[in-house]
Amino acid sequence: MIQRDPAPRLRGLSDRHTGVLLVIPGLAMFLAIILYPFISAIYMSFTDRSLMRPTYDVVGFANYAKVLSDPYFGQTVLTTAAFVLLSTALPFLLGLIWAIVLNQGFRGSEFLRGVTLVNWIIPGTAIGFLWTWIFNGQYGILNALIEACGGEGQTWLGQTETALICVVIARTWQMLPWYMAFLLGGLQGVSLDQIEAARIDGANNWQVFAHIVAPAMRGIMTLVLILGAIGNLQHFDLPWTMVQGGPARATTTLSIEVYKTAFKNWNMGKAATVGTIWALLLAIFSFVYLRQVNESD
Amino acid sequence: MFQKTVGFRVFFWASVVLIGGFVFLPLLWLINTALKPAAETFSLAFFSGPMTLDNLRGIVTDPKIMRYLLNSLVVSFSSSFLATAVCAFAGYSFSKFRYRGRKFVMGLFMMSQAFPQAILLLSIYVLMQKLGLLGSYYALMISYVVFTLPVGTWTLKTYFDQLPDSLIESAKIDGAGNFRIMWKIIFPMAVPGMVSIAIYGFVWSWNDLLYSMTLVTDTAKRTLASGLVMTFLGEASTNWGAMMAASVVSAVPVTIVFIFLQRYFIAGLTSGAVKG
Repeated sequence: MIQRDPAPRLRGLSDRHTGVLLVIPGLAMFLAIILYPFISAIYMSFTDRSLMRPTYDVVGFANYAKVLSDPYFGQTVLTTAAFVLLSTALPFLLGLIWAIVLNQGFRGSEFLRGVTLVNWIIPGTAIGFLWTWIFNGQYGILNALIEACGGEGQTWLGQTETALICVVIARTWQMLPWYMAFLLGGLQGVSLDQIEAARIDGANNWQVFAHIVAPAMRGIMTLVLILGAIGNLQHFDLPWTMVQGGPARATTTLSIEVYKTAFKNWNMGKAATVGTIWALLLAIFSFVYLRQVNESD
Repeated sequence: MFQKTVGFRVFFWASVVLIGGFVFLPLLWLINTALKPAAETFSLAFFSGPMTLDNLRGIVTDPKIMRYLLNSLVVSFSSSFLATAVCAFAGYSFSKFRYRGRKFVMGLFMMSQAFPQAILLLSIYVLMQKLGLLGSYYALMISYVVFTLPVGTWTLKTYFDQLPDSLIESAKIDGAGNFRIMWKIIFPMAVPGMVSIAIYGFVWSWNDLLYSMTLVTDTAKRTLASGLVMTFLGEASTNWGAMMAASVVSAVPVTIVFIFLQRYFIAGLTSGAVKG
């Protein structure tokens, strides 16, 4: 028997009112720091707002005309696309292989799984520092190893041809554990009976993977690929800590562009325009994601 | 799952060496560089040369960096607490109550995962400036809820969905009110889910760079991530030993949280959490 209710007045509240009351803090925060900023940023994209001046004017589509005719913008979109594609595909592939290895359940595999995740947990800033050091053109370990093998060292982060791939490698290192964790969960859900039956029919490892494991994991694979791509479309830390979007814009993705335009060039209107176009691109991915989630429900 | 044929063994061991090397060696190199004396920074010795704690000591006795660390702790703990509370209330409301507009608000929360954080930042910056909160802890504490709110609410809603309604019904028959049921019966049962969300929020806040670089204008209030970037980026003669030591120090708190709460961590991670 539960004791007398300490708040008898609240007890009088109907279920419906309680439900509404409970959602109010979340809804208030949602409106204040997500929905209002989003709508207000779209509005901002039609103004010449700058952090240098207190006042601003509505300028219609002027920012859009400027951004879309800017040859750099096309480059930024392409850089973002290349970054998203590579840094989703690479850690996915390696994460899948790593999950298959850890799923073999040898002694210490649990421990290895835990240690692998550390890469994902530590701050992006630390990861950026680490890889800047590895790729350093003068004293970096990568060049030292290449030179020890008779090759020629490069200023990896200083060349437009190699900078982006360096950032992708660092990002792969950071995200591999995340894909591994999801995919390992998926592997553990695959029915062993089905595999057993296929074995009796004489299926080899590759056939088991292609015809049983991969189809069974289709849902989770699609999910991590979409979530991973959404994360990469937003990613800021590594290209910023490693090369600040350089050299010569080689690693300037959309998030770097928005940050630089707004907080280095103080042009909020233009930054909001880039951001709005970017949000439209993201909406496509999210639409696919939501459909996937609804399907799997 | 796979038979240990020759081909599989080759694949297995090649993966262990190549991926294992890629995954583990860089982190060891980070620690290794942090432990080298200044004169040895550029040597290729791998845990074989002389070692020293000088770099680490230099970082933990640097009052500026320790200030950043403290700021990070304050901001990450409070924003994670705030986010978990708000998500638990909203998740419970979505799960066990029925009212008009519920579905619509749920859809809004879900959709907002896709709003780019950098674009939200533009208006959050202007908003915080208007409210006079720029450069205070509050600006970051409140903004960091952005990262957790949609995912956290959704995850906890699913969590509460799994608790049977009969629990609530029978408590009601015993005469307990809605809030009492929530505090005394439902929330205690959802502790694992809440811990996952709290960790998720903590790690996000701890690791964030973009928001802390922009919303904190006062150097003394910087968090660790942005503080370290400001300290080490663009330094003419880069002090790699100190930089690696600083990275180690910044990674320690989240790693500790992870080691002790690994179980909840993986639950939170695979519950649909995105990391940018």
